[in-house]
Amino acid sequence: MNPEAAILRSAIPDCLVEPPLTEGRVTPGSLDDQVLAFPERRPPAQWYIGLAVTMTAMAIGFSLIGYTLATGIGVWGNTSPVFWAFDIINFVFWVGIGHAGTLISAILFLFRKRWRNAIARFAEAMTIFAVMCAGIFPLIHVGRPWLAFWLFPYPNQRAVWPNFRSPLVWDVFAISTYFSVSAMFWYLGLIPDIASMRDRTSSRFRKAVYTALSLGWHGAASHWRHFEKAYLLLAGLATGLVLSVHSVVSFDFATSVVPGWHMTIFPPYFVAGAIFAGFAMVVMVMVVVREGMQLKNLITLRHLEVMNKVILGMSCLMGYSYLMEGFTAWYSMNEYLHHAFMNIISGTYGWAGWLTISCNIFVPQLFWFKKCRTSYFWMILVAIAVTVGMWFERFVIIVVSLHQDYLPSAWRVYTPTLVDFGILLGSFGLFFTLVLLFARVLPVIATTEVKGILPDAQPSRTGGGHE
Amino acid sequence: MSEPTFAVLGLFDTADALMTAIPTVRARRLGRLEAYTPYPIHGIDAALGLRRSPLGGMVLVMGIVGALTALAFEYWISAVDYPIVTGGKPPGSWEAFVPIMFEVTVLFATFTAGLGMLLLLNKLPFFGHPVLASKAIRDITRDRFALAIESDGPQLDPDAAGRALADAGAAQIEVLPEADRRPFLTSDYILRTLGGIAAACVVSGLLMYWAVKLFPVLPPMVHMLEQPRLNPQRADSFFRDGHGMQMPVAGTVARESGLIGVATPEEAAALVNPLPRTREIFALGRESFTRRCAVCHGALGNGVGSLTAAYGAKPANLQAQQFQDYPDGKIYWAIVMGKNAMPSHAADLSETQRWAVVHYVRALQRAQHASDEDMKPGGQR
Repeated sequence: MNPEAAILRSAIPDCLVEPPLTEGRVTPGSLDDQVLAFPERRPPAQWYIGLAVTMTAMAIGFSLIGYTLATGIGVWGNTSPVFWAFDIINFVFWVGIGHAGTLISAILFLFRKRWRNAIARFAEAMTIFAVMCAGIFPLIHVGRPWLAFWLFPYPNQRAVWPNFRSPLVWDVFAISTYFSVSAMFWYLGLIPDIASMRDRTSSRFRKAVYTALSLGWHGAASHWRHFEKAYLLLAGLATGLVLSVHSVVSFDFATSVVPGWHMTIFPPYFVAGAIFAGFAMVVMVMVVVREGMQLKNLITLRHLEVMNKVILGMSCLMGYSYLMEGFTAWYSMNEYLHHAFMNIISGTYGWAGWLTISCNIFVPQLFWFKKCRTSYFWMILVAIAVTVGMWFERFVIIVVSLHQDYLPSAWRVYTPTLVDFGILLGSFGLFFTLVLLFARVLPVIATTEVKGILPDAQPSRTGGGHE
Repeated sequence: MSEPTFAVLGLFDTADALMTAIPTVRARRLGRLEAYTPYPIHGIDAALGLRRSPLGGMVLVMGIVGALTALAFEYWISAVDYPIVTGGKPPGSWEAFVPIMFEVTVLFATFTAGLGMLLLLNKLPFFGHPVLASKAIRDITRDRFALAIESDGPQLDPDAAGRALADAGAAQIEVLPEADRRPFLTSDYILRTLGGIAAACVVSGLLMYWAVKLFPVLPPMVHMLEQPRLNPQRADSFFRDGHGMQMPVAGTVARESGLIGVATPEEAAALVNPLPRTREIFALGRESFTRRCAVCHGALGNGVGSLTAAYGAKPANLQAQQFQDYPDGKIYWAIVMGKNAMPSHAADLSETQRWAVVHYVRALQRAQHASDEDMKPGGQR
């Protein structure tokens, strides 16, 4: 450390000094032995049990999807005037879950939040899996998914093109772009890690697979230079994208004339809700990963605490959005909008409205206390509450708005069927199956990125520490 | 030295040691310097004399190309090739194209950043690089740092290079042979394949467009439409006067109608309309009048028809007192024989239609000169 830096360091009050990002002594070598060794070992019994449970859920979901396709979507509860129900709720819910991953991997990267390095890989993986879950629902909702390629503009013998003024077509582009960009971002980060795995494995089969996947990466400085630039650019692009994707999803609602949907607050409100729900899911999974894979020294309690602070902040933002929704309804002096809002808190589904508000606004306020932010019990409790609350928020937005709109003669109470619940369960099964498989075969922590932020990882002569 | 040397490689334990060694080794000017590290090292680009990555510019250009591609594509589809009006918007309403323009911009930029970095700048995948086969690679991707002096045109002297690295503090020296350049799955191969697929997509897209939009209107396909025939209202060289449609032969009468038994309008004045005044007859009269008469005499029979202005003709105003006083028979005679510039309609209107038109003309006249009695609800017919 150069003398100026030392003087500067001593002048900084303790509360401003960033605490260490890892606990105990972690070296690049020990990091590899800890993280990259997982795929080389037999997983513990709990992993198999977990996989059995999630794959059962997935099997239930996919058989019910098969039943739906064979019979028709009349097996769901959707009926006039509630034509969008569980399918679109689940779609919006899962796309939202994905947003936390991109936020952690891209936005926090641009802000140089170095604590993100340890959790970025897992969060990105969750993004990809969540978008895969989300993609299923519009696909099966069209009823004949084998014709879903009609959504894309391609020259065809019917000489017909899609309507580019439809938000549903924007959605197709937004979700497919989001998936491609997330996958690209994830894979680029994986390449150096897979190269590390390639060079430490002794199995010929693994070596062949890792060699192919790492594309012959050998860590040349001239390659790192382009790699870092690409990573930075991708982070910038993904940042714009993550803000746009849920905005476009919200356009599906906001550009319609249904009272309760036609609001300008929808895009920012959807994005905030997405990040909120996604962080809750990341906290939940991270607690399990941290305990189950013995990564306490890398994913420290501080990581969880910081994420819980983000959840608290987002919860306050959601509270503001809910209040603004009420204010807009009141200030518009529009009786339909007024009715739509009163329906949320006192209609047939008033319980869902209050469940949403309690789970999303009241329960997360526990995180004002450091004790709750650092206790597994409370953080899991809040994370589950937020996940439930955010699912019900989409239920409220979609079902409550649709079941009573302009024409009282068309009003009807919506009731989901068991098939609806089964497919929802199946999407959770798919998500956690993919998470478990990922934890088994790929490095769950971006070892290359964590190596770069370990103490003494960077040369001190060039004024290390600045990043 | 039988085999040409690609590089001499020395291993260092810390990033600090590597960074200290670079300037001293570089000063010897033995060859091109390259470092192999487990993670990116700050400041190493400047130390090795590497230029800034051009990726930013490439991504900017491709992002702009993406935005323009999306705009052009959406505009061409929505306003040119398949214009449909939705929501009352003009076909080229570009505001609605912005979300997809944004997504395509990000998509182009992302793939340029990712694949451009891998395939174009780093020339990956490449599995024949000598470092991959070296003993040092296990350390390089784990926790140690390698500095390599690589052959730069003239033959590299491995001994001198090894000494230079050892002097700089390298713990382990390794001499690497030339790269294995057998035809692996290389970046060039992948780029050529991707280029081929892209070209195939463009060609098949253009072919599809040609097959769907252009081929059906090309000569052999349009012969069904363009067969020689006479079209009404069109010029045609088949007849001497150049008209596709000919006037009927003089004296032609419509079917089901009898011969005209009267010679002069005065004689015709005595004829009596044989038809009853029923709703059906009036409907028939209106239909025939609208088809045959209204174009000149006007829908109200007041002589202001749509052809009047165009031809400067002065068709009779049937609402005039003169025609109100006409007996039914004289109107019938004018329909059958024609009058002044008005041609005979004997060939077009059957006997029933002629008399129905007479009734209808009477109804028009009465409607325009209605008395107070006519205004009463349920009044006389």
